Amino acid sequence: MTPAVELIEVRKSYGGFRAVDSISFSIPPAHIFGLLGPNGAGKTSTIRMMIGITSPDSGVVRLFGEPLRRRALRRVGYLPEERGLYRRMTVGANLVFLGQLAGLSVATARERIDTWTKRLEIADWVDRRVEELSKGMQQKIQFIAALLHDPDLIVMDEPFAGLDPVNTMQLKDVLVGLRALGKSILFSTHRMDQVEKLCDSICLMNRSKAVLQGSLSEVKNGNGRRFVQIDYEGDGKCLAGHPLVDSLNDYGNHAELRLKPGADSQELLQSAILQLRVIRFQVMDPSLEQIFIERVSRKDD
Amino acid sequence: MTEFSIKKVWIIAKREYLERVRTRSFLLSTFVTPILMSAFLVLPTLINGSAARGIMSDNDRPARVVIASDNSALAELASGELTRQPGTLYQSSIVSPASAAERERLNRQLDDRAIEGYVWLDDSAIASRHVVFATRRMSDSVLQHRLGEALSYAFAAQRMVRQGSSSADVAETLQPVALTAVSAGRTSGTYNELRGAAVVFVLMFVMLFSLLSYGVMVMRSVMEEKSSRITEVLMCAASAQELMSGKILGTGSVGLTQIGLWLSIAGFGASRSEYLRTAMKVLDVGPSLIVWFVIFYTLGYLLYSAIFAGVGAIFNSIDEAQQWNFVVVLPLIAASAMILPVATASDSTVSVAASLFPFCSPILMFERMAVHEPPLWQVALSLILLVATIGGAMFVSARIYRTGILMYGKRATIREISRWLRHA
Repeated sequence: MTPAVELIEVRKSYGGFRAVDSISFSIPPAHIFGLLGPNGAGKTSTIRMMIGITSPDSGVVRLFGEPLRRRALRRVGYLPEERGLYRRMTVGANLVFLGQLAGLSVATARERIDTWTKRLEIADWVDRRVEELSKGMQQKIQFIAALLHDPDLIVMDEPFAGLDPVNTMQLKDVLVGLRALGKSILFSTHRMDQVEKLCDSICLMNRSKAVLQGSLSEVKNGNGRRFVQIDYEGDGKCLAGHPLVDSLNDYGNHAELRLKPGADSQELLQSAILQLRVIRFQVMDPSLEQIFIERVSRKDD
Repeated sequence: MTEFSIKKVWIIAKREYLERVRTRSFLLSTFVTPILMSAFLVLPTLINGSAARGIMSDNDRPARVVIASDNSALAELASGELTRQPGTLYQSSIVSPASAAERERLNRQLDDRAIEGYVWLDDSAIASRHVVFATRRMSDSVLQHRLGEALSYAFAAQRMVRQGSSSADVAETLQPVALTAVSAGRTSGTYNELRGAAVVFVLMFVMLFSLLSYGVMVMRSVMEEKSSRITEVLMCAASAQELMSGKILGTGSVGLTQIGLWLSIAGFGASRSEYLRTAMKVLDVGPSLIVWFVIFYTLGYLLYSAIFAGVGAIFNSIDEAQQWNFVVVLPLIAASAMILPVATASDSTVSVAASLFPFCSPILMFERMAVHEPPLWQVALSLILLVATIGGAMFVSARIYRTGILMYGKRATIREISRWLRHA
């Protein structure tokens, strides 16, 4: 299946500053892709090139299998990091205007606004001016604006920033529902814990480069499963000098350790059983955050 | 990426238009300006015209003038001449002889506001033909002028009577000559100054005011979208050129709507009021002049709005843009300073040059066309220069716009802007 968006070796500099350095990834249909990284990593710059706001200095951006053209942007819905609506216009007028710009007729736009505002429980606010709305509500409106024209590729820059848990869940549900309908979804965030359960694949960016990418299980398998927790009875000294162990925190009858690269946790368990009474042996799934921190600090060395 | 959708421009322009037309400030400026304008037009007429006498005097009574003279026949003649015209606003009475006690009494009457002034025509004044008019109305030049005329008449008439002329003879001989000035001559540089001045002031004011306010409106609108961060949403849906074109068209239509409303109000007024009809006639506001006004206004607006759109894209707030604004507005200030010189010497080298300069031509070439017919080639040349400059300004602004509207927070340096121009 043609990916909704494909980036090949994309680079972008602003003045002397390299914002995006050789980024490649693609997002197939029915897929949620997380673009992760700390503030200033180059996420927004990458996104802007995907939707034609800026063009790359070198490299290729393809939308739906073809080089980026304005017409293809009709199939893209975009929620920018910096939210913006016309403050003095009503919610409805804002949405109709943006819907029209995205190619909808006024009647269709109104119909969909009705459906979406009901679904996100803000239908009562349609005739109010945007400036009367709370930030969270404005964000929901912006969210609807990005989805109004039923795009096949949905690009959201920090969609959950500033939302309370209830609203975050609501929007996550919407995104999952859209994935079930075959839509491709990219969202960026610096909150890595937010995406672990949601993303099919990720790209971790740091200082304008991709430091880690692939499907979520690939990333975790390739980089993780090196953290082990052991509850034991006996003398834990044997763990300290063990050839498979890279680092160790021993608390007496509880130890947290990291395996050496390439080491098999099963081997460690086998040797541990010989000397200790193992009550619990757990291979920890590292969090993305742990992986990321490890990756970045290693790069810096 | 260079697809340009008229439909999107239309959607953007429509939003801009409807949002601006609905504001209170639009309604206010649309309906208050004609009131101010008509006050501006009518007041000078009232002050100069005879109707102003009532307003200008301390009370509504006509000017009461006493002519004090030892020669009562002479005083009669002067008094008769002063009040001769039907509907005169002067009342005159005679005091004779002109004694010192009489003068005391007249001064007291002046103090009591019982009279507006007296003419002291004693023998020495008659001999020297140098007459003093003591008055509370020093500024009433019309009264003084009329009084001078009346006295000259009286002196001449009395001499003629003494020489044996009949009173009918005297009246006929001294009948004043009527002089009417008419505008004539294509290249002579003469024109009806009053009409010229009136056209210049009203239409120039409207033009300047509109160019400035709608140009600035475009700039503010760009800044608003920048600071409300909506540009990024829009940029995904429409290109920078579409956005800028839509904004300029939408705001410009608001300006034209306003001017259209003003013209309708004037037209409606003219159909109802004799006074306005006469004013329009005096102003010589015909259909062709209005068409030219709309043409020059539209072109001037396109030029200035393009520049203001660029300025708006560079800066984040009006405060930041202040200095640049001044540079942009400078030609308009120069043009407004040129309005009077161009009115009085429409064909001078300076006037011609200024009216060809594209940043001033919307105002000054139109002015020259209003007060006097400039050679056709000059009109054509100014239009060509203007349109070419608009093209250039749009081109440069579009490039600045494209990059500038996505640059938040930080103020661009001139070096950065020139880079936007080269790399866009």
